[in-house]
Amino acid sequence: MKNNSTWLSSIGQKLLLATSGLIMFLMFLIPHMGGNILFLFGPEMFNSYAMHLHQLVPVVIGIEVLMLISISVHMFMGFRVVLANKKASDKRHSQKSSKERSLAAKLMPVSGGMIFIFIIKHLLDFTFKAKEQVDMHGHMANDVYGMVLARFQDPVHVIFYVLFMVAVGLHLSHALQSSLQTYGLYIPREGSKIKLVSMLVAIAMASTFAIIPIIAFIR
Amino acid sequence: MSNTINLTLKVWRQSKDEEGRFETYQANDVDTDASFLEMLDVVNEELTIKGVEPIAFEHDCREGICGCCGTLVDGKTHGSHERTTLCQLHMRKFKDGETLAIEPFRAHPFKVLKDLIVDRSGLDAIITAGGYVSVKTGNAPEASTTPIKKADAEAAMDAAECIGCGACVAACPNGSAMLFTAAKVSQYALLPQGHPERTERVKNMVNMMDALGFGNCSNEYECAVACPKGIDVKNIARLNREFIKANLKKA
Repeated sequence: MKNNSTWLSSIGQKLLLATSGLIMFLMFLIPHMGGNILFLFGPEMFNSYAMHLHQLVPVVIGIEVLMLISISVHMFMGFRVVLANKKASDKRHSQKSSKERSLAAKLMPVSGGMIFIFIIKHLLDFTFKAKEQVDMHGHMANDVYGMVLARFQDPVHVIFYVLFMVAVGLHLSHALQSSLQTYGLYIPREGSKIKLVSMLVAIAMASTFAIIPIIAFIR
Repeated sequence: MSNTINLTLKVWRQSKDEEGRFETYQANDVDTDASFLEMLDVVNEELTIKGVEPIAFEHDCREGICGCCGTLVDGKTHGSHERTTLCQLHMRKFKDGETLAIEPFRAHPFKVLKDLIVDRSGLDAIITAGGYVSVKTGNAPEASTTPIKKADAEAAMDAAECIGCGACVAACPNGSAMLFTAAKVSQYALLPQGHPERTERVKNMVNMMDALGFGNCSNEYECAVACPKGIDVKNIARLNREFIKANLKKA
């Protein structure tokens, strides 16, 4: 009998998926959203936020390393789970089962893949890009506000970003509640408040992210 | 007074080492008071007279307690989602003139043996891996030496209602046996009698489940809808907790 180690057993894999996902959610997605909101308050606020963030180099690098580890674990385990599940399920010929399975749950591999593509594009758009300098009360700083504004003058970019935020919302709405069930916290099938909160948080976060390119386009 | 209905059945026919296919049969004048299996019995009688090999399907108690029967009827395990086994599903649930697709439980570890019969011995192997308790021989112990809270006894009995029919595996988009394994782990984890092997049980049963090629649970809860005994996903959460606890103990 093939004996998987604890972490590669079916429940172990999902614990790793849940943990790496929650780390990215708590340590990256939420702070990132907080930063994005500052964009709405204009160039002064947003550029100053970016400048102060870069002064915290050890923290930024620490989080970047943590994110790299988390995304690697998340993708590796995600692939393993999806492939194993494909193999374990046999195709039915008569399709008409219950509607219990949510669209978000069904699309987890698709939305996950979309998020990966998005991250690459997003890094190319803003992180690995030469930034203009701007005068911030005497010292020079990166004009990230201007960069974001310039990027989203192109409606194609705006549509791309908004579309991919739908994937983020779908992924989160299943992920948040499902990860808790994996940790052993009972999420009931019907009338679960945690399921509802999970969906509301997902919608709120995806819309907050999606509103930035739209506002930048209008400004 | 019972009514009769006419149905068109598209039934999965498959012999060993052969690709399966759907064959269409007419089921005429079906008594609406008959159970689904009784309807198949009548169809088989007619097929036998015509010289066609009867449809093979598994059945035993026909009282909804043994876990033998079960096929997908129009994609639904046991033909309905109303907490009933196929043998306890009555033909009054169907409409005159309906066409029903009847196929075996689908999951990679459930090989089709013949027609609607699949090999569910994987579930037995999971039980063998840890679904038991050690008992001392000798006289039956005095019942009140091991008091059990009413709520725990109830929850253990709810889990023990599982008849091991495999509907959860067939309903799962991932072919996972988590609900089955969760029910078996839960019924022992909740009672003091199950505690001596508690740590090893959950590890061994999950290991066996994985080794047999059952899929991973992605918390989509199709299993709980399909379960004829209403086993709740609460048990899956408990299985996850048992697994975490068992592995923390080792560390």
